[in-house]
Order: sequence, then structure tokens, then C-alpha cells
Amino acid sequence: MAVLDEPIKEVRTLKNYIGGEWVESKGEIVDVVNPATMKTIAKVPISTKEEIDAAVQAGQAAFPDWRRTTPLARSRLLFNLKELLEENFEKASRIQTQEHGKCIDESRGESRRGIENVEVACGVPTLMQGYISEDVASGIDEWCMPTPLGVFGVIGPFNFPWMIPLWSVPYAIATGNTVVVKPSSEVPNSQSFLCELAEEAGFPPGVWNMVHGGRTVVNGMLDHPDIQGITFVGSTPVGRDVIYRRCGETGKRVIAQCGAKNFMTIMPDCAIDNTIAAMMTSFFGNTGQRCLAAANAVIVGEDDKFYEEFVAKVVEKASQIKIGYGLDESVQMGPLRDKAKKQNVLNYIDIGLQEGAELVLDGRDFTLQGDLPDDCFVGPSIFTNVRPGSRLGSEEIFGPVMSIMRAKDLDEAIRITNENPFGNGHSIFTQSGKAARYFQYNVVSGNVGINIGITAPVAFFPFSGMKDSFFGVLHTQGKEAIRFFTESKVVIQRWF
Amino acid sequence: MTLHTASEGISFAREMEMATAKFYEELARRFPEHAETFGAYAAANKKYVSDVERAYYGVITDAIEGCYAFKGLEPDDYVIDVELGAEVDLAAAVAQAVANEEAMLRYYTDAAEQSSGTMHDVPRAFRAVARKRAQRISDLKAMAAR
Repeated sequence: MAVLDEPIKEVRTLKNYIGGEWVESKGEIVDVVNPATMKTIAKVPISTKEEIDAAVQAGQAAFPDWRRTTPLARSRLLFNLKELLEENFEKASRIQTQEHGKCIDESRGESRRGIENVEVACGVPTLMQGYISEDVASGIDEWCMPTPLGVFGVIGPFNFPWMIPLWSVPYAIATGNTVVVKPSSEVPNSQSFLCELAEEAGFPPGVWNMVHGGRTVVNGMLDHPDIQGITFVGSTPVGRDVIYRRCGETGKRVIAQCGAKNFMTIMPDCAIDNTIAAMMTSFFGNTGQRCLAAANAVIVGEDDKFYEEFVAKVVEKASQIKIGYGLDESVQMGPLRDKAKKQNVLNYIDIGLQEGAELVLDGRDFTLQGDLPDDCFVGPSIFTNVRPGSRLGSEEIFGPVMSIMRAKDLDEAIRITNENPFGNGHSIFTQSGKAARYFQYNVVSGNVGINIGITAPVAFFPFSGMKDSFFGVLHTQGKEAIRFFTESKVVIQRWF
Repeated sequence: MTLHTASEGISFAREMEMATAKFYEELARRFPEHAETFGAYAAANKKYVSDVERAYYGVITDAIEGCYAFKGLEPDDYVIDVELGAEVDLAAAVAQAVANEEAMLRYYTDAAEQSSGTMHDVPRAFRAVARKRAQRISDLKAMAAR
């Protein structure tokens, strides 16, 4: 099969998009490297405090007019954007693969998920409606209407460079707010391209701003008095100790979607072939760099024969995964995003061995498809005999490492799962409705999968999360996003 | 190379459709008395590509196993021959077309069956194209018999 064309053909220095203008940054410039080829594909600025301030000012300046723009008119611009996203679907997908490393099927899935959020936000004329009660007291009517707040900050992670800002931005602007997006400086091309399309769609200057960078930009958002709220996706230490805490200190709304250690409970009555296919995607898809990736497989029951045969099949299937450049259509697992992330995975493999777990598939030994540098690549690893409380079994690795545990029954599997501090996307594989309901009722997890390995809610459901996986109240996507980006204004009216 | 990913499966279908579309365009040129039929086949092939791609691009998502869509489809099982000999007559050309169509029918049928566990819209599109292919095979055989 073919290796698809790379859409980024020349190295350019990316610009910020502020107030409808593409502006060169005065900040330090760093390379963006394709992790599959190790070639530099772009240069990205680490923008300054003055530049984030300018973007917030642009958003603030655009807010009054944008707020007065009717929801239908705002929706029409989102429809324009949706059309452009469809027209540029393949280019956007290939950019994701080129800058992140994920397989083309995964990138296309990410593109689709992003577009779905734009589609849902197009319904803002009805999504944003308030409600009214007549005669709450004699001759007095009362109504509640959602109103926009101003400028919001959107901080994106490296693992889904295209989709994750789209969990927030369409809803923020649909409801009459303006935004400043900070893409991950590791993968900034996707959001730059998205901004180009937003500009083409016709959003007025200052409604949709983007500033590349790192901590300075994040701190600039957190400290800025005109930023009303922030959505963030990233690690738990940053989300909890920096974003959530400082938004609390500065009175900002916050959605902080953080780390995970997802458990997949496998019942003896599961549909084995389908379950194993789902496991490959869940544990090794996106090279494990996904907050909804399964990390621990808990195999239920005391039937040693089932356990051994199941594990053997899982290992066999995982050992056949084709590793290489995601633009090669036959590849099923791409590289990790950078060398440090690979080293982190290798460290955890060492930790697992030191903790006494058995490495039944060693990801350090793998065959690479194509003539590529192996700097960021690692194969799928599978450990058995993993203790739930061990570092391997409890800490987020963010790489293609499967830890297999056993539980004597479903209650024990749920207990092991719930003892972990994270609660993002646990799942169960079973043919029993009773077991499935018992699991979904008792497991503490924002998103729950029943025979689904990637428990990613579609755009009209909130992307939930619990425990150390989420900090905030409302969530991105759907109706909850509409609520997050609006304040309820209640009017009580009487006429004399 | 065995096909496993959804992207590979879609690309393989596209390549077969486009290659046989060219084949039918050539048949239309060489056999003007059947130009309308062969031209229509070529146009339909391109529509099948867009039908299948629309289904795929519409449903591809990280919730399904796109990189593991097929247990394993062997391209060698679906070989088509689109090279027309210089002196080929209508009967031989139609026989070649039937053989190609049968290979493609097998491909769509197998691809639909293998991917039905992970997707819905794509195998449905595969099956729809397979049904039209079966009809085309019947029509081509009738043409040869006339």
C-alpha cells in the first residue's frame, strides 16, 4: 500500500493569529520535528507575555460586537467552517500524522471528532435558549437567559493536536464569547491550519485568536483579568496544581481534563476476538498517548486455562502490530511524540521488571516498517503478574504498555479499579448485561465503556472525568460546554 | 501484503475501481456499439469510490478499531487484469471484464464480512457496491451471450 504524501513540504516559521492578523512573534523560535522521520517540519515561536496580552486585548475588543451578532449569524459562520473542514479533511488528517506520528486512520478519526463538535455547536440558536415562568408572583414574570462572558483561554495538549481545542472553541464562540487558543508547541501546525480555515470561514477579527508558546503564554492567560475561564487538557500535576488552583485564585471558570490510568475488566464470557481487537486499539492506539487509552487489563475468574489462552492470543496479536510512519497506510502504530516520551516508556519497562512483573512482550525489541530512524519508536509491551499498587500498575505511562492483572471475581476487579486515583475511562468486556450494569453502576469513572475500549463521548455528550482525571464542574462538549461558556442571567419583571 | 487497516481497504477498493474505470473507457472507445454501457460502467465505478469514501470518512472515529478493521485481506486473491490486447474481440474483452468484476465482487463481499464487527456504514457501502457488481456481472454475461 501507498505511503501518502506529506502535506507540509517546506519549513516555515509559524505566526500567531491575533485580531485577524498573522503576526510574527518576538519570542524564541524552536523546531517542530516529525517523530517518524526526525525531520524538522516547522519552526514555532515561544511567544512573549506581551503577545498573549495582545491576543486577550483583541478578544476583549471583539467581544461586544460578537456578542451582539445573532446566534443564527454565528451559527452560519460555523456552518462555513464545517464545510471548509470537510473540504480539507484529508489535508488536516495528514498534518496531524506528520507532526504527531499517529496512523492515518487515527488522524482521520480525530478530524471527524473535531468536526462533530462544530456540527453540534451549529445548533446554538436552540442550545442557548433560556426559559421563562409567567406569574412567579402576581403580575411578575421571571426568565433565565444564558449570556456570554468574554474571552476564554483554550490550552491544547500534544496528543490530539486538532481535535481537543475543538471540544471548546466552537461552543465558546457559538455562544458569543471570543477565544485565545494556545496549541501545544510540539504540534502547532494543526491549530495553525485550523486558524487559517477559521479566517476563511469569515469569523470577525479578534473572535478566534491563537498564540503559540509555552509557560509564558499559559501564565499570561492565568493572570490576565480579562480571561473569564480556561479549558485545559494535559497532565494531572499541571491541571490540578497550576491550572485549577490558579483559576480558583483568580476567579476564573475552569475545565481541567487530566491524566488517567484506565482499567479494562475482561470477563470470561467476553467475545474474545472482538475484545482483543478492541484491546489493540485501546492499549496501543495513538501509541498509548491518549487519556482514554487502557493501561491495565484485569482478567476476571480463576480459570487458568482461559487466562493463559487469552493472554497468549493478546500477545500474539500485539506482536503482529505493524510499526512505522503513520502515513504508510499499512502501519498500525506510529512513534511516540518525541525522544523523551520514548525514554519515559523505557523507564517504566525497567520499573516493571524491577517490581517483579513478567515482561511477556518486550517493546524494546521491534521491527520498524520502512527505512526510518528509531529515535521515537517503541513496540507494544505486555506485562503479566502486575500488582495493582505497583508503580507500573498505578502510574500513568502514556505509552504502549499493557499491564495484565487477575481478579477472582467482578467485585475484586471493580475494587482494584476504584483504588486507583484516576477515573477517566474504565471499561468492561462481557456478554452479560447484568455484569455490565453492575460494573457501570459501581465503577468510579467519568466515562465508562461496555465492550468499548476507547470510551470517548461523541460531541453531544460531555467528555467527563472523575477523581484525579478531572478538575472542575462542567465539561467540554455538548450542552455542558454551552453552560460552561455562558452565565445564567435571571430577569424578574413587573410593569406598573 | 495483507490488508488490515481501514485506510488500506478503502485505498485498495479505490485503485481497483479507478483501474477498471479506465478499462471500461477503453472498451467504450474500441466498441462504439456498446459505448453507452461501458461509459456508464466507468462513471458508476467513480461513484462507487465516492460512496465508499463518504461512508468511511463519515464514520471513522477513534471509538472503532480502524487500524484493525480487517482480519486480513490478501490482495492476491483479488487480482484484476486491465490490460487489453491490441486485437482483442468483444467476447474476450467482456470475459476479461467479467473476471475483473468477479474479483471485485469477492473483495467487497470479504471486506464487508471482515469489517462488520468494527464498523457499520462502511461494510454496508461495501455490500451495496457488491450488489451492483453482481448485477453488472449478470448484464455482462448477457451481453456476451447475445
